[in-house]
Amino acid sequence: MIEKIKDLSIGNVFALAFGATALSAVFLNLTNYEVPGGLIWALAFELFFGLGIYAYQNNSIIYCLKRIGEALVTLFVIATATFILLRVMPGGPFDADKALPPQIKANIEKKYGFDKPLSVQYINYIKGVVTLDFGESYKYIGRSVGDIISESFPASFTLGIYAFLLSFLIGVPLGLFAAARHNTFWDNFAMTVSISGVALPNFLFGALLILIFSIKLNILPPAMWETPAHYILPVITLGIRPAAFIARLTRSTVLDVIGSDFIRTAKAKGLSQGAVMYKHVLKNSLIPVLTYSGPLLAGILSGSFVIEMLFAVPGIGKHLIQGVTNRDYPLILGLTLLYSVLLVFSNLIVDLLYSFFDPRIRLA
Amino acid sequence: MRFLFLLFICIFSLSFQTGCKKKNSKGDYGLALNDTLRVRIATEPPSLDMQKMSDNTSSYIAENIMDGLVVFDFKSAEVGLAPALATEWKSSNQAKNWEFKIREGVKWSDGQPFEPQHVVDGWERLLNPNTASNYSYFLYNIKNAKAYNEGKLKDFSQVGVKVEGNLIKVELDGAMPFPFLLTHQSTFPVRKDIISKFGDKWTEPGNIVTLGEYNLKKWEHDRALVVERNPLYWGKPSKTKNVIFYIIQEDQTAINLFDAGKIDFLRTLPSKELSHLRKRPEFVSYPYLSITYYGFNTKRAPTDNLLVRKALVHAIDRTKITTMLQGGQRPLSGWAPYGMFGHNPNVGLAFDPVRAKKYFQEAGYGESNPFPKMEISYNTNEDNKRIAENIQAQLRENLGIQAEIKNEEWKVYLETLKVNPSHFFRMGWVGDYPDPHNFFDIMLSYADNNHTGWENLEYDKLIEQAVTFVEDKAKRLEMYNKAHKILVEEDVPVFPIFTAVAHNLVSPRVVGMPKNVMFIFPLKNVSLQ
Repeated sequence: MIEKIKDLSIGNVFALAFGATALSAVFLNLTNYEVPGGLIWALAFELFFGLGIYAYQNNSIIYCLKRIGEALVTLFVIATATFILLRVMPGGPFDADKALPPQIKANIEKKYGFDKPLSVQYINYIKGVVTLDFGESYKYIGRSVGDIISESFPASFTLGIYAFLLSFLIGVPLGLFAAARHNTFWDNFAMTVSISGVALPNFLFGALLILIFSIKLNILPPAMWETPAHYILPVITLGIRPAAFIARLTRSTVLDVIGSDFIRTAKAKGLSQGAVMYKHVLKNSLIPVLTYSGPLLAGILSGSFVIEMLFAVPGIGKHLIQGVTNRDYPLILGLTLLYSVLLVFSNLIVDLLYSFFDPRIRLA
Repeated sequence: MRFLFLLFICIFSLSFQTGCKKKNSKGDYGLALNDTLRVRIATEPPSLDMQKMSDNTSSYIAENIMDGLVVFDFKSAEVGLAPALATEWKSSNQAKNWEFKIREGVKWSDGQPFEPQHVVDGWERLLNPNTASNYSYFLYNIKNAKAYNEGKLKDFSQVGVKVEGNLIKVELDGAMPFPFLLTHQSTFPVRKDIISKFGDKWTEPGNIVTLGEYNLKKWEHDRALVVERNPLYWGKPSKTKNVIFYIIQEDQTAINLFDAGKIDFLRTLPSKELSHLRKRPEFVSYPYLSITYYGFNTKRAPTDNLLVRKALVHAIDRTKITTMLQGGQRPLSGWAPYGMFGHNPNVGLAFDPVRAKKYFQEAGYGESNPFPKMEISYNTNEDNKRIAENIQAQLRENLGIQAEIKNEEWKVYLETLKVNPSHFFRMGWVGDYPDPHNFFDIMLSYADNNHTGWENLEYDKLIEQAVTFVEDKAKRLEMYNKAHKILVEEDVPVFPIFTAVAHNLVSPRVVGMPKNVMFIFPLKNVSLQ
């Protein structure tokens, strides 16, 4: 055992450490303990350095730096576009149902710097973006955008990560199962289930789960975000669509791969059905699933408005929607950038993982 | 080396498990259920800063953790006032000068004595342009207050407020029922020392100091607020020790939690569910001071024509709308809502399709001269949509008008109202204080809330004068009756439809939940079984 560990590359050590830390975090979270900030930092550190070392070993450091440089340009463009779109949108943040006397409105606008020319507002805003200080929310007085994100992101993150894991845990095996029994009853059955999963809107699916498990059977809480028992229904509701999608994706790529020459070779070598499926077929079928999981991860982590509303989850998804309704400019900008960062980086991670699953892919 | 590193990481992550805090798993913040009332609020309160809040979720919390000089008294038929931080008050100089005697021996939640200066500090803060409060105009009637708020006057000592011993003396520019304003949280006292110490974060638990029956104990943003009985409260202590305000945005989710016994009180219900919710024993409903109305754009043809406006109003049956809504709303033909001084059920134009057709023909419309395209607009909302469609159908049936319906998202709608509203547009008003002035003044020719473009100097004069007859109720009523006639019978820039009704679900274990025309919920007298 020890000999085996000694042989591990430093990249794999980081991967193992990341796994161990992540498992402890999940364990703590599911046993209703608070996950300490140090653990989160350790995870971020391990992820960052693990990927860095992996990229270094694959000679893709330059590629990564190039991607990060591109990402910064993209973020700048997004920040500017959001700024412009918000100013063009009719209706301002301080329009209220009871119209205010002009002087009072002027006082409010002065306080938030609306009396300055647009160019000055833009420069101040870009300065804020660069220093990661998005300012104070217009709606929630005295709360900075940073406060709002740090208070509501954990719930969305927890919900999102579990839903993401669930979608893989269900989707990949289901896809394999169906592909291995191609054109049989079980294949049709699995695909019918998964196509209903894709087709069912999640507000309906969530409502059904609440009806069955909370109201009729009374075994799970109908809403709120307190103990791990509260996580179950929202996680299933959020995870079921991607799970169904991943199942269909896995099935079709597995069917492609099964027909290829190297699989025939593997079978000819006399490998067992299981070894062929898991070692050769699966690994080579995961590329499309991986491509899909980048945007999925970003989307799922940044919160789902519908599910947060339905299950009263104190997450970030509803802030994005309500920020727009309230014309809460700083909040919208902060959340848009957060989503963009998540998207850019989850795509980068996915790209790095490509070469892990398929060594033929070289990043340059 | 690598082995050691891996080992280190494992130990590092495992070591956290021992030092970790267990989250409370009992729910309800570990509070005893028999002494904890759990109510729902539909949004995170935007602020607990008394001078800055401007929404009714924040004031729901505020009215339970703070007190003003006076409180509403709902015991009489018309809403009156009862003493709170002021024990008595009187007016002189025909209601232009007011004097409030401050209760002695009152303590803030941090043990500091309450002083009259704290009230004046609150008012100064409300009027200070740097506070940028939505409600500064509440005190504009105080001498020089407007100039101070506009920044024209820098010295607050010139504003007509002063402290003498335990008296607060107020000098107004014109007479008005001033004490009513003091029920509003924007006029509540503040502690400037606390605000300067904590800045904008002074409203967080641990920082905030208050004077009400409850103290803010916990505020988990986007989840819940917990308040606890204030042991230093000057009045009778609250009957229930703790109140949790759970933030549940979605109506149906709130109902699910109510059914699961997790929440004891819902103060708003989705209108679509009313038809079956009203059959439940926990259902309660009662009117509150508000009007839902449609305004005419009097600057745009064809609704610039008085005869057209009269024809349209006569052609719509209000009871058809309230019946369709099934919410128990009370049809309203006048401008002062049901349940308030000044309400007059006999004023306004009633549904009369024959007269509607007559006016329509007099205006020159008929088969030879078809009515031009007309726009009905509302802000996007299910109920508003149903009302607009109902009006559209009634106009088609009774006058043969093909009106076009347009809906806009709320902020866009507000913008449109300012620039160029549709011919016939939906609006509403909820009373800030139970006085007709609060309703009639939104239709003054110079009022920012008057989006109709209508102006009538006689009406302006009546409204400006009526408010000064604070002590002569009969005279005041006579003036409002005259104003009523101009507004809803002679010039008809508006079409009042109904007074809204509050719908609550109250758990059987809750006793004494308030229901009143101001739609406020002081919880101190609520007990649990």
